[in-house]
Amino acid sequence: MSPDVTVLPYERAFTCEAGESILAAALRQGLFLRYGCRHGGCGSCKAVLVDGDTAGSGSSFALSSSEQAEGWVLLCSTTPLGDCTIDVESMELTQEEFESGDGVGSFEAEVTGVAALAEDIRGLRLALREPDRMSFGAGQFVNVEVPGTTEVRCYSMANAPQHADQIELIVKLLPGGRFSGYLESRIAIGDRLRLFGPLGQLRLRLSHRKVLMVAGGSGLAPLLSMLRDMHLKARPRTVELVFGARRRRDLYLLDEIARLAAALPSLEFVPALSEPDADPWAGETGLVTEVIARRHPSLDGYDAYLAGPPAMIDATIPLLTERGVRRANIYFDAFLPTGP
Amino acid sequence: MRKSLVQVHEKSKSYDWDFPDPRPKYPTRYVVPKTGKDPFRMLVRDYVRMEEEKDSRTYGFLDGALRMQVAERTEPRFMEALKLTLPDLTNAEFQAVAGVGMIALGIRNQELRQGYYAQMLDEIRHTQLEMALRRYYVEHAPDPAGWDITQKALYQHPGGHVSLALFQNFNTGDVIDSVINLNVVVETAYTNILLVATPQTAVANGDDALATTFLSIQSDEARHMANGYGTLFAVLQDESNVPLINEALERHFWHSHRGLDALVGWQSEYGAVVRPWCYREQWQEWVADDFIGSYVDKLTDFGVEPPQRLAKVAEDVPWLHHSTALALAAIWPLNFWRSDVMGPADLEWFGAHYPGWEEVYGPFWQGHAAMADPSSGRLMLQELPSLPPFCQVCQLPCIMPRPDRSDIRVFEHDGRMIAVCSEGCDWIFHRWPQAYAGRRSFWEQYHGWDLADVILDLGYVRPDGKTLIGQPSVSLERLWTIDDIRRIGYEVKDPLVA
Repeated sequence: MSPDVTVLPYERAFTCEAGESILAAALRQGLFLRYGCRHGGCGSCKAVLVDGDTAGSGSSFALSSSEQAEGWVLLCSTTPLGDCTIDVESMELTQEEFESGDGVGSFEAEVTGVAALAEDIRGLRLALREPDRMSFGAGQFVNVEVPGTTEVRCYSMANAPQHADQIELIVKLLPGGRFSGYLESRIAIGDRLRLFGPLGQLRLRLSHRKVLMVAGGSGLAPLLSMLRDMHLKARPRTVELVFGARRRRDLYLLDEIARLAAALPSLEFVPALSEPDADPWAGETGLVTEVIARRHPSLDGYDAYLAGPPAMIDATIPLLTERGVRRANIYFDAFLPTGP
Repeated sequence: MRKSLVQVHEKSKSYDWDFPDPRPKYPTRYVVPKTGKDPFRMLVRDYVRMEEEKDSRTYGFLDGALRMQVAERTEPRFMEALKLTLPDLTNAEFQAVAGVGMIALGIRNQELRQGYYAQMLDEIRHTQLEMALRRYYVEHAPDPAGWDITQKALYQHPGGHVSLALFQNFNTGDVIDSVINLNVVVETAYTNILLVATPQTAVANGDDALATTFLSIQSDEARHMANGYGTLFAVLQDESNVPLINEALERHFWHSHRGLDALVGWQSEYGAVVRPWCYREQWQEWVADDFIGSYVDKLTDFGVEPPQRLAKVAEDVPWLHHSTALALAAIWPLNFWRSDVMGPADLEWFGAHYPGWEEVYGPFWQGHAAMADPSSGRLMLQELPSLPPFCQVCQLPCIMPRPDRSDIRVFEHDGRMIAVCSEGCDWIFHRWPQAYAGRRSFWEQYHGWDLADVILDLGYVRPDGKTLIGQPSVSLERLWTIDDIRRIGYEVKDPLVA
């Protein structure tokens, strides 16, 4: 059962997974609600249950009996038992804040460059025109409208947030894909594209731990943005970037990574090939999971950032937890192909 | 809160006045703008109604606890450790009452001040709740010895000194530094471990009364965190404040780590028979991921720097409370609670959750168990080459983070030998010597005394005048007496006296 929760005064509905709290479901789906401890203790996420049945487990100190009688619930520790309606007016959020804690907006951008980074990887450079800047965090993505349609495709920014007037995307070409088709055959410098963003929760989190980044396919983009941001902010962390590809020619932007590694001595770059061919190769070989397992008997004290195909992410997470990364410290964006 | 109340709150702010003397009662080095945001918009009438209900529930629970025999059912080990940690916490609340009063008078900003007025009432409420709980323990604990003198003992005992040294920063020095210490570091980074996670341990060890009291207190903390956030954002409007904020954060993050990781970790693991969680994991979640990874992270865009000693703190966290436990057990005759023996199940748990624990701490606990009975005629103190000095800043014994990796530094200051436990405390001492130089150490006070006379001077004997309050185990058939100690003939020697 996946009940729908309608939020007043915005009349916006979203779906809760079984056993998921209303707060967790809202945040997961890119909405914003006020919260504090997330354990039913502080009362910051109080809202009125207008309709429907819920199960709750918050502290009675955070929610007095008179408040309970008036229908108040704690969203962090309330799960819907069926479709329900809540009123969050008391949180005093504007509709925009509610809909986009991250400040999602609509942008018009101009194509300024397209480059073939690898056989099936394209680099797309855009200049923002209206509005002419986007405030985003390294690791976030945008939805790009496929020209001539209302469909969108999501791509992570590869550029640093400091260059807020530009958007640099890395796109994997998919056979028969609409945006791929546009990139391969019709795109021209000066084209105008519609973007929505920034979106997503992936960001480099401040911590005392070392960082392991794992990229596959076009997943290099958000990690590159983080590294560029780190360099420009002069806040180096100890980072190991494992970049997996099938063959030597599938790796890309190696000069840019080398430039960053020279500027960030605490960055170690580990390219890895799963199917090396005749091209000379002295680096790591095997799937990224094999490479990580070989290099790290223990990953205790690491944060991990993963971006790439879902299969790579699914295979990497259990390895990381088994080697000592706390599950809460594994952050990822799975790049699901949207097709055609 | 209903909308109409928001409007009323807006109106209430207009009841401000211009002071003839523009200087606040307590001066600050920070530039504090006149605008700021009271994050909770709480009116007194709503506040009182809400808190009254919370109070009624908590005090009502104590009546119920009497019928349910909560004090009798609580694990003795848990109850004994609380004799130190609960007064330590009440001291924090009390210092916060004074601190928030000072802050409210030091900030000329009506919106922020409203938040601090409410917090001051909260802190008084917390002090009263904890004193009521202590009274409940005095009357109903199976072994009340020690509970009756906790207020006096707090000021005498090295474990109380840790709390005094830590929480006096709530109300000394610059008012905005105090906000960064109280509202930002202690309440935002650390109260979740103390007040959300500890009730779980309390319930697992049979103490529903403590759990109820702590949950009641915790429900106020979000407002205090918001007060700190509101003030930080107000002072961040002026760039000249940024270096001051960073220095205060550095100082108080380090000092809070020393005091709180040592004491809260000790209570939750060495004061427990059932351990529902592991302290270092809780620290990773609440302090590293939530406070540093989210709260401080968001402030970095405004120039706030994460504490430079964060990595060192993370390195020390897994060990600090084990070393604290070792020290408190080694000085058990000087305690006003009963220590305990760590048995095979405890040793197994520590070994499983802290790889390497057994090699460092295992032999100590085996020795402690072997000497627990008075018939042994031995004290662990006799096994030590010398007593460890107490850190002049955080007041922990200088065996941190681990006895085999002590980072102690000893130096002369104004003709007196001073010890600090670490590079962090060394930096704090030399940056603010006037705040720390004057303290006399516990060992200095009793240099040359027989241990038995120290115990009598402290008053840590039971009503028969002979049996010690402190014991090495909660399950002895015969308790240690002052005669047992006198027979041993142990002389206290201040390690800093040449």
